[in-house]
Amino acid sequence: MIELKNVTKLYGKVIGVNDFTLTLEPGAYGLLGPNGSGKSTLLNLITGQLRPTLGTVRILGRSPRNNARLFRQLGYCPGGEGMYSDVTGYDWVRYLQRLHGMTVHEADSAAKSSLALVGMEAAMNRPISSYSRGMRQRTKLAQAIAHNPEFLILDEPFNGLDPIGRHELTNVLRDWIGQGKSLLFASHLLHEIESITHSFLLICGGRLLASGTAEEVHTMMVGLPNEIELKCSDPYCLASRLMGERVADSVRIVEGLLTVATQQPQRLYEQLPVWLAESNVKVTEMRSADESLQALFNSLMKMHRGEL
Amino acid sequence: MIGSVVAVFSFEWKRALTLPRKAWWLVLAAFPVFIAGLVRFTAVNHENGPEGLWRHLSTWLLFALVPMLVAMLGTLLWTTPAISSELERRSWVYLAVRPHGATAVLLGKYLAAVTWVIPPALVGLTIAVPLTGTGDSWRVWRALSGLVFLSCPAYAAIYLLLGVIFPRRAMVVAVAYTLVFELVVSFIPAVINKMTVQYRLRALAANWCDLNVFNTRESGAMALIGTEPPWHHIVTLVCLTFVLVAAAVVVLRAREFSSSADSDT
Repeated sequence: MIELKNVTKLYGKVIGVNDFTLTLEPGAYGLLGPNGSGKSTLLNLITGQLRPTLGTVRILGRSPRNNARLFRQLGYCPGGEGMYSDVTGYDWVRYLQRLHGMTVHEADSAAKSSLALVGMEAAMNRPISSYSRGMRQRTKLAQAIAHNPEFLILDEPFNGLDPIGRHELTNVLRDWIGQGKSLLFASHLLHEIESITHSFLLICGGRLLASGTAEEVHTMMVGLPNEIELKCSDPYCLASRLMGERVADSVRIVEGLLTVATQQPQRLYEQLPVWLAESNVKVTEMRSADESLQALFNSLMKMHRGEL
Repeated sequence: MIGSVVAVFSFEWKRALTLPRKAWWLVLAAFPVFIAGLVRFTAVNHENGPEGLWRHLSTWLLFALVPMLVAMLGTLLWTTPAISSELERRSWVYLAVRPHGATAVLLGKYLAAVTWVIPPALVGLTIAVPLTGTGDSWRVWRALSGLVFLSCPAYAAIYLLLGVIFPRRAMVVAVAYTLVFELVVSFIPAVINKMTVQYRLRALAANWCDLNVFNTRESGAMALIGTEPPWHHIVTLVCLTFVLVAAAVVVLRAREFSSSADSDT
């Protein structure tokens, strides 16, 4: 469905996407990466808004640039706001459906049903300028799905949504996937993507760092040192014990904060309560830095550079 | 494709029916009336001048006000930002991912702008012509109305192309083009003035209104209106309009319009 071969996109001297190679079959995928990682550039390349500086982009076997046939099968929800604030949500969605070649009647019907699907039926005749951010997000999603595309691309669609809105739209997207349609969902939040799909593309610095399911990505990380931070009553004693037990690869104490690097996190987590009790050390705070998405990216970047 | 153009055209017209835009419409219509009225009020004894002089002066004044200034100002305001306004408000991507969306938006906005500017120009002309008291009002109105139908599409096409080529400085470039080419270069008595829309319109006005002020070879001013027959100017203007609009479409399809470089790369 999506095929990128050695795609590089330069903005002058700034690299947006760097030597990106990827092949995706129809299905649901999460595009995960921190802000500024190149997600939007990648989506702009896939939707034909940008032309790659190097390499080739093929969507459904064709270049997406000015590709009317592809656009008929594509629904796109951009990351930015960008909707006309002086028109109603209904007029906006209907207008965009008219641009899809629908008749007035078809566009009316499609706009109403899609706005109802995202919970905007009651407010659809109000000007967009009066909408909350969550309502705008819902309207953006409505314009993307109104023409019933085969392939939906969403760029940070949950931004500004309250928990109820996220839950509702999550269900809408799950139903969408359940109909056998394809989805590419970009976000910088792991849990947002995990709630929709378990297939990830991890991108950072314009590069594809890893792809696969969450389990597959974690499997890649096995064998890499995990870092655990502890605030405790006697960090020197605890550090000594962990080294003595040969569970820590290295320890570091800075201003009372003990940082432990280990390749045996499972064993450490299991045995730590025992060692703490035996050493009479009280822990006030414990954090695994590697549980954060950024740490995962950092580790993958280090792997990519050959530093791990 | 045609349906999409019609959709953009009707949507833009619906959006144009706001109070500020209606006010602009009235300003455009009132502008030539106001100026023509002031001139007529000032020149109360115009009948005492040389025969035909007042007719020539007032007709050139109407030409300068309506097919030139009103057409230029109206189309400059509505056509130049056709793309840049979408880029600034970041709505472009919504339109560009539709089948032929970019082209439809460009053409739909162009047609909406042209049809929006022509009515106030005609209304202003209809009131201003009898106000000047040229004596052959019907002939002057008919000639200048014809020029409005040529000038609005032509100027709109120029501004459309400039807006696509220079989306980030569209208005500045369009104003600079107007001042330099249409108001200065067009009056240079050399071949270069034939490249301007103003030259063609001026020649047609002189011919259709029988304004023979410059029409003497001895005056050396023939280069200002040329010697080509009217059909030559009409064909040139119509072809120029189509070529400029087509060029705008080609440039638009070839260009990358994305705000990613400014935001999240």
